[in-house]
Amino acid sequence: MGQCLRYQMHWEDLEEYQALTFLTRNEILSIHDTFLKLCPPGKSYKEATLTTDQVSALPALRANPFRDRICRVFSHNNVFSFEDVLGMASVFSEQACPSLKIEYAFRIYDFNENGFIDEEDLQRIVLRLLNSDDVSEDLLTDLTTHVLNESDLDNDNMLSFSEFEHAMNKAPDFMNSFQIHFWGC
Amino acid sequence: MAFVLHVPQAPEDQGSREPSPCEESEESELHFSFHQLIQEQSRGPGEDRLELPPRAPGPGAAGAAASHHQALQAPEPAAHSPATLRILASMPSRTIGRSRGAIISQFYNRTVRLRRRDSRPALRGLGRSARPSLRLYDLELDATALAEEEKRVLLVKELQGLPLAQRGHMLRGMPLSLAEKRCLREETRAPRRSRGRPGPLACCSRLRYACALALHDLGLALLAGLQALAPWHYALKRIGGQFGSSVLSYFLFLKTLLAFNVLLLLPLLAFLVGVQTAFPPAPRGPRPAFTGLELLTGGGCFTDTVMYYGHYSNGTLNQPCAGPPDGGQCAPEAASLPYNMPLAYLFTTGTAFFITCLTLVYSMSHSFGESYRVGSTLGAHAITVFCSWDHKVTQKWASRLQHDNIRTQLKELLAEWQLQGGRQSLCGRLRRAALLALVWLLCLGITLGCTVAVYTFSEHLIESPVRADREAALLALPLVVCLLNLGAPYLFRGLAALERHDSPVLEVYVAVCRNLILKMVTLGILCYHWLGRRVATLQGQCWEDFVGQELYRLTVLDFLFALLDTLCGELGWRLISERLGRGKPEFDIARNVLELIHGQTLAWLGVLFSPLLPAVQMVKLLLLFYVKKTSLLANCQAPRRPWLASHMSTVFISLLCFPSFLGAAIFLCYAVWQVKPSSLCGPFRGLDSMYEAGKVWVRRLERAGPRVSWLPWVHRYLVENTFPVYLLSALLLAIIYLNIQVVKGQREVISLLKEQISNEGEDKIFLINKLHSVCERKERSGAGRTQEVAVPPAGPADHREA
Repeated sequence: MGQCLRYQMHWEDLEEYQALTFLTRNEILSIHDTFLKLCPPGKSYKEATLTTDQVSALPALRANPFRDRICRVFSHNNVFSFEDVLGMASVFSEQACPSLKIEYAFRIYDFNENGFIDEEDLQRIVLRLLNSDDVSEDLLTDLTTHVLNESDLDNDNMLSFSEFEHAMNKAPDFMNSFQIHFWGC
Repeated sequence: MAFVLHVPQAPEDQGSREPSPCEESEESELHFSFHQLIQEQSRGPGEDRLELPPRAPGPGAAGAAASHHQALQAPEPAAHSPATLRILASMPSRTIGRSRGAIISQFYNRTVRLRRRDSRPALRGLGRSARPSLRLYDLELDATALAEEEKRVLLVKELQGLPLAQRGHMLRGMPLSLAEKRCLREETRAPRRSRGRPGPLACCSRLRYACALALHDLGLALLAGLQALAPWHYALKRIGGQFGSSVLSYFLFLKTLLAFNVLLLLPLLAFLVGVQTAFPPAPRGPRPAFTGLELLTGGGCFTDTVMYYGHYSNGTLNQPCAGPPDGGQCAPEAASLPYNMPLAYLFTTGTAFFITCLTLVYSMSHSFGESYRVGSTLGAHAITVFCSWDHKVTQKWASRLQHDNIRTQLKELLAEWQLQGGRQSLCGRLRRAALLALVWLLCLGITLGCTVAVYTFSEHLIESPVRADREAALLALPLVVCLLNLGAPYLFRGLAALERHDSPVLEVYVAVCRNLILKMVTLGILCYHWLGRRVATLQGQCWEDFVGQELYRLTVLDFLFALLDTLCGELGWRLISERLGRGKPEFDIARNVLELIHGQTLAWLGVLFSPLLPAVQMVKLLLLFYVKKTSLLANCQAPRRPWLASHMSTVFISLLCFPSFLGAAIFLCYAVWQVKPSSLCGPFRGLDSMYEAGKVWVRRLERAGPRVSWLPWVHRYLVENTFPVYLLSALLLAIIYLNIQVVKGQREVISLLKEQISNEGEDKIFLINKLHSVCERKERSGAGRTQEVAVPPAGPADHREA
């Protein structure tokens, strides 16, 4: 893999990225380094793009069962620019605020992208979590029924964004588990 | 009022099926808003990736009419047709966070609310849709709302009105792409020309703005620097990535304990150790030579040093010289501040404990507030299915382990629900209760046995005192205590295998409880042994030094046994397990955390008698971190029982606060108030109790003059009097009761709101069904009409937009 034109990030750009994302200076610089190593030769980091396959192959995302959804939500037209990668790292960073994480978690878990997390989405989530396709139907339907019983407040068999937000606010582990460290990858 | 929503049949040759409402004249105004919303949603496919993409050709793509039929044939009302789903998805309450326009308007409303807290924004600057009554809502109620561009201008204006830090936070938290955020930031940074008053005023405001920016950037740089300096930053991230959040919480707890020790040590170093080292007292006797045994026993050449209580002088240091002994001149520096050592000792220890108490209570309440939610049941939540995947994990084998863990967790969840559904027979319940009682009795019996063993051994030691040259025999009591603390938990674990709990979390909490009772009772017996018996038998000697040395010995042996436990328990077990073909041993979080809490209790107990004990504890914690980390990475795997990481840190801090710190504080209070200090050594020799030093000082202040009379008054009426204590306790109880009532009220409000939401949901389903049935009737009547019109069967069929 060739390397991009080695432009050092300008100080103003670094300041701007620090002001617009939740990342620290070191994290931004290390993501910049990683990006430079992966992008095609002859382009500056501001114009180069990475494919979703390249981003999925990053060590931070390699073992994640939701990596295709993450790539789809954060990419534009199926490619990642440097700012897309920064945006993704910012949402998954430790300092990000809960509302931002919940917002993106909803988009990631909405597999069929119809604006709701319905039973089909829930079943796909469970299958991804268990990483197998031969799961008994009883387990799936029981689980989705229980989830909807607890969190579906207006009884339309789907979780809207507000219901999802309400449920995630009740689960204090969410902030802890919805973090990915992209530095040093 | 009857109204129609007509879903027409889209022409067959078009690719995308876009339902649009009918154009009947009398109904057009009624659902014009729907039409606009749908048009807005289907506009510009490449413009915004956040908008809903056109529904992919799926089951309902054969045409709106076909999908409509599908919806009619669907038995339950909840199976909405794609057309219905599209309308539902474009409803105002759903579009929050879905389209860029909605995001901008939502954040605009939020910034307005934020600014309203400080000042009411000027009405003339706002658009007509942002009427005061609507500002509270996040919904786009006005269908003919401002276009996205106008809203964006309003948002920029509002952002300019916010203070810098809030603006930055607002910008960071918006779910927009970086390019859009940059545009917003550029626009908010442009200096306001509307208030143009050129000249010195503009320069001043620009200068002030530049200064504020510079300070903000400096603060950011400092924070970044501090974070990089944070100890074990990378090690912790690596552990979290390989083993998950629950194992990480043990190491974070270790780091917290280190911080507490630093907090305790700093005042002691500054006000006691430093000062006493600068003005060393006369030595009490010949200093013995250093042998290696001192590191274990704490005696020998360590005895008459700043490490122990006995070394500290009981008078005033650095007194102005009243005539030099050799007839020379007083050095001018000698006429500086006199330093009353007994008072300093008392106050410094008291203040250090008080600060630790405040920090503990604050961190406990903060942690509790983060992990407890009103209305959340103690049982397992199904929604944890969303939180159970720890995204930090990056290794393939670790993620495989997580898959297994989640499978186990889900199976246990299901089993628990089935158990809750089923009912147990009376016999079964009685049997389980009897088994539970038996196991608890056995565990308490073991604890009692250990306590009696320690008591008899300590009495035996008092009866046959240790000779001066056999110092190693002093290690006997700590050795016995550490052995019992090591062996009894394994017995408990064996007994716990007999009983069967419903939930695995309860099992762990019960194990933690039993181990904690054992450790605290053992420590209680030791405290009685020291303060009750040793003081009496060591009357002619320095008993405080002895107690300090005992605690030092316990700390060091505790560390050695922790190393032994790691070596045998983890390394040895791994070798055996690999030989037997089973996996690596699990990292036992509960036992390790209890060891940490035990060690910290020892440090707190010993602070009064050995001011440098927190430093020893810090060295111990540092070494323990590296040992445990190495052992973890080499020998262990993550625990199979998934713990809730957020609850765990709350539990750890609470255990640290309640039995551990409270016990140490009671021990300290008893030692200060009730025990007569030895007359040979230490800063309180000759007094009746350590607290006397404070009383002596207050009496001296009384005699000093009327200007400081408030302090003795405070002392007499608030500290020595018992009435304020009762008053404070009553106040505390009242506050607790009020908080309980508030929480109860919040629960009721939550259940009422839930009922309201489910009623609204039913209304919505009712309306949708009504719309469907009206549509269907319209279709049927329309179909009937076409049949009448199409009289010649061979003629061209009328393609009417029905």
